[in-house]
Amino acid sequence: MTKRLCIHGLAVAGLLASAAVPASAADTITIASWGGTYQEAQTKAFFDPTAKELGITIKQDTTNGLDDVRLQVTGNAVKWDITELGADECARGSKEGLFEKLDYNVIDKSGINPKLVHDDWVGISYTSVVLIYRTDVFGDKGPKTWADFWDVEKFPGRRALSGSQATETLSVAALAKGTPIDKVYPVDIDGALQSVDKVKGHIDAWWTSGAQAMQLVKDGEVDMASIWNGRAGTLRKEGAPVSFSFDQGVLTADCMVIPKGSKNKDLAMKALAKFVSPDLQANLPLYVDNGPANEKAFETGKIPQERIKDINSAPDNVKKQVLQDPEFWRDNLVEATEKFNNLIQQ
Amino acid sequence: MSIGSASLGHAVRQDGELNARALRSDARRQALGLLALLSPGLFLVFAVIIVPIGWLFWLSLFDESGQLSLANYARFFEQASYIKTFATTFKVAFVVTGACVLFGYPLAYMLSQLPRRAASICLIFVILPFWTSVLVRTYAWLVILQRKGLINNWLIDLGVIGQPLPLANNFAGVVIGMTHIMLPFLVLPLYASMKTIDVDCLRAGMNLGASPAATFRQIFFPLSLPGLASGVVIVFVLCLGFFVTPALMGGGKVIMWAMRMEQATSLYSNWGAGAALGVVLLAVTLALLGLFQWLLGARATGVWSQR
Amino acid sequence: MLLSLAPSALPIGIHGIEKRFGALSILSDLSLDVAAGEFLTLLGPSGSGKTTLLMILAGFVRANAGSIKVGGEEIITMPPHKRNIGMVFQNYALFPHMNVFHNIAFPLKQRRVSAAETAERVERALDLVQLKGLGERRVDQLSGGQRQRVALARAIVFEPRIVLMDEPLSALDKGLREHMQIELRNLHRRLGMTTVYVTHDQREAITMSDRIAVMNAGRIEQIDQPEVLYARPKTKFVAGFIGESNFIPVECRNGSVWYEDRKLRMNDPAPSAGRHLMVVRPEKLRLLADADQARPVNALPATVGDVIYQGDSFICYATLRDGRQVTLRDYCRSDVLAKLPAPGEPITLGIDAQDVVLVTDQ
Repeated sequence: MTKRLCIHGLAVAGLLASAAVPASAADTITIASWGGTYQEAQTKAFFDPTAKELGITIKQDTTNGLDDVRLQVTGNAVKWDITELGADECARGSKEGLFEKLDYNVIDKSGINPKLVHDDWVGISYTSVVLIYRTDVFGDKGPKTWADFWDVEKFPGRRALSGSQATETLSVAALAKGTPIDKVYPVDIDGALQSVDKVKGHIDAWWTSGAQAMQLVKDGEVDMASIWNGRAGTLRKEGAPVSFSFDQGVLTADCMVIPKGSKNKDLAMKALAKFVSPDLQANLPLYVDNGPANEKAFETGKIPQERIKDINSAPDNVKKQVLQDPEFWRDNLVEATEKFNNLIQQ
Repeated sequence: MSIGSASLGHAVRQDGELNARALRSDARRQALGLLALLSPGLFLVFAVIIVPIGWLFWLSLFDESGQLSLANYARFFEQASYIKTFATTFKVAFVVTGACVLFGYPLAYMLSQLPRRAASICLIFVILPFWTSVLVRTYAWLVILQRKGLINNWLIDLGVIGQPLPLANNFAGVVIGMTHIMLPFLVLPLYASMKTIDVDCLRAGMNLGASPAATFRQIFFPLSLPGLASGVVIVFVLCLGFFVTPALMGGGKVIMWAMRMEQATSLYSNWGAGAALGVVLLAVTLALLGLFQWLLGARATGVWSQR
Repeated sequence: MLLSLAPSALPIGIHGIEKRFGALSILSDLSLDVAAGEFLTLLGPSGSGKTTLLMILAGFVRANAGSIKVGGEEIITMPPHKRNIGMVFQNYALFPHMNVFHNIAFPLKQRRVSAAETAERVERALDLVQLKGLGERRVDQLSGGQRQRVALARAIVFEPRIVLMDEPLSALDKGLREHMQIELRNLHRRLGMTTVYVTHDQREAITMSDRIAVMNAGRIEQIDQPEVLYARPKTKFVAGFIGESNFIPVECRNGSVWYEDRKLRMNDPAPSAGRHLMVVRPEKLRLLADADQARPVNALPATVGDVIYQGDSFICYATLRDGRQVTLRDYCRSDVLAKLPAPGEPITLGIDAQDVVLVTDQ
């Protein structure tokens, strides 16, 4: 009796709602990304054109990463239909079964590096870890390679590396001891740790956020650092005396997933297909330094030729860099991070 | 009872049992009534404190595959960095608490000696930082303390130092930043307790031949100890769980327990790893509070020696 | 000699003390001499400056001008801890973090008295204030009276030449207060230290003091022995503050004092011409029988208003012919009781010539 009443009530409420608002819950999806200028760029490059084309509403939220997804999925309170994550987080979340399967009949995966195309996650953009140095200290004769960064006698000065992203720091440590770009993965973790150990005593700050890395360089607290290319580009645009290149950069991918239990899975799939399409992918570098994940974006002609050389995922730049292997880190992250923490805290 | 017995006479007198049952049930009713009044508070304590802590403890007992295990605790002994972090956390808490006492005691003393109006104005300045976010204050310290910050620039311009002092992105930076944030938590209870010290007690001290310094040492200071103790406990416990300032001012070289917790929740795919860190911190904090209580309790019940 | 029966008490000479808070004058040109070993009470209403004077003596408040000499030595600029003056505070000001023994030993410790001697002297002081064996008690375990005694013991254990007491009994209940008054007086007689005592309780002042200085608005109105102060007040304020008084307006002309058309008989010489007030204590008024008319008594006709029986005594409210109400008090002796007037009855009130005291009418 009461149950039937409830159902009736719900049905009536549903009818009323759909009658009153054309774009009902069924036509709305919620997307979470990292916030800040990156998400603003994504809004212009991906979200707004997609919403317009599909005639839907895209609501936005921000995420702190895999913990948030895990909390929503395990707590049966999934708020997001699509969320952005780091590629290694995607690999881990996939193993934990936190995501919906992707339908590659809807999503066209051509042009995306196969390493970033998986059953339940797909690459969306790239960030690079690059070596930045201050030109007011070194002129244009600053450290160009990680081996230079490690050479404290030839390049005296204050240094910062990431303390929170052990994967990135171990990758550059492997490069520093002379490992060729194509041999970095799978990472020899113990060898990389030994490499970190050599420079450890000369590191003045282990940064834990992109903002902090930027502030350290900008305020001259350090003379050289590992830094994300987006932050480095911002510094250069602001006129800070800095120099960096993609030589020996570490390319890390971001990916997008549909959290398990999303109420608008099908619509999300369509939206995701738009996001990774070459056309919209080509929009991204117009607004931000993070390169598109789909290399066909460079063939659309939307990206000006002089801009292409500054984009980390442009084919010429990709050749100079190491691509982080998400599945390697899925399996080795915990052990490597604990060992890394032990090392830098000694 | 005796009046009742006398007035009601022999008919109801049964070995002092007059109205005993009615009185007992009245007492029971009153107790139940009190319990009913307390129940919202008890419920809140249960829902907001007991349940989450119990849950935290429960979570800490499961490993990544969801099996009951002590793996989350065993990790503390297998990885040297956890012991190191634990030691760092307590070292920071001790040093910051010490610095707060060093600066806070004279400040609270000055406030307690000022006329009421002046004291309340000064108190506003003590409380004012509470209205700014910890993040903003920490960044402000960074601007002041870093290698090319205000202090180093001034000192170099004045020729006091040749090389910048390492004030930020290290232990010193963390201590300076945290001391600033924790100071009000020490000053406020201390000030309140100093205000309750009877002026006549201090006059009596001087009248009886103690110099102002001796009066301070033998009378004012011991009487301010309870306030100092509560301030120290508050600051110390807050320090143990502090995150923002050490994360920003430590340059990644001063890793505290709360930072480890944040890291553990993102590194491990189960909550148990972070939960175990929380349980350990909670247990150690409770043990310390117990120790404080025991020490202070001994002081409050016994008269502490004059020699 | 330790807590001796005849210590070398010192006199205090207070001269020209001025104390102002901003524009407000608290004490003005105040002078007072206290004899060695004397028990002198500063009596006055709150705000009269008595406590301020005590604080200046102790050194807690700095005067604007004046001199305080103890045994001839100027102490006005001496810091409190060097004055060697014992003080008992109104709220006792015992040190809550010390037990009874340590409270009393405190002044001895400051004077670096040896442990053995300290123990002995504290023991004797405790004995003196009848608290033997309570040395280990905490202050909060003591009753009000016991705290009072500890404060007293602490103030005298180091044999100060002067003891100051600031309303020390005001926090005690009536019975205990009266008991302590006697005890304090006896202690003073045994120890003989010069004592300045502050109270607003005139009965306490009369009970305990060798002399009383009545203070009003920062000045001393009168300083005298209690019985003189009571019997011969010099001002209306003193007469009104100490005991009860009937004030009857009189006039002095041609060397005689007149109440309306009656010439008053009095032993004192007549004061200057003009208006004065006759101060008559209720117990000095008598109901006159016709036979008494012949005696050298001033007779005032009046009408009985009310008679209140109080067991040992009675109070009679009567109205004089000028409409002024006066109070008469007498003991309930059989002969008096037999002749108690009824309300509305005309009576004649008598005042002996020796009891006529005049003060200026201000």
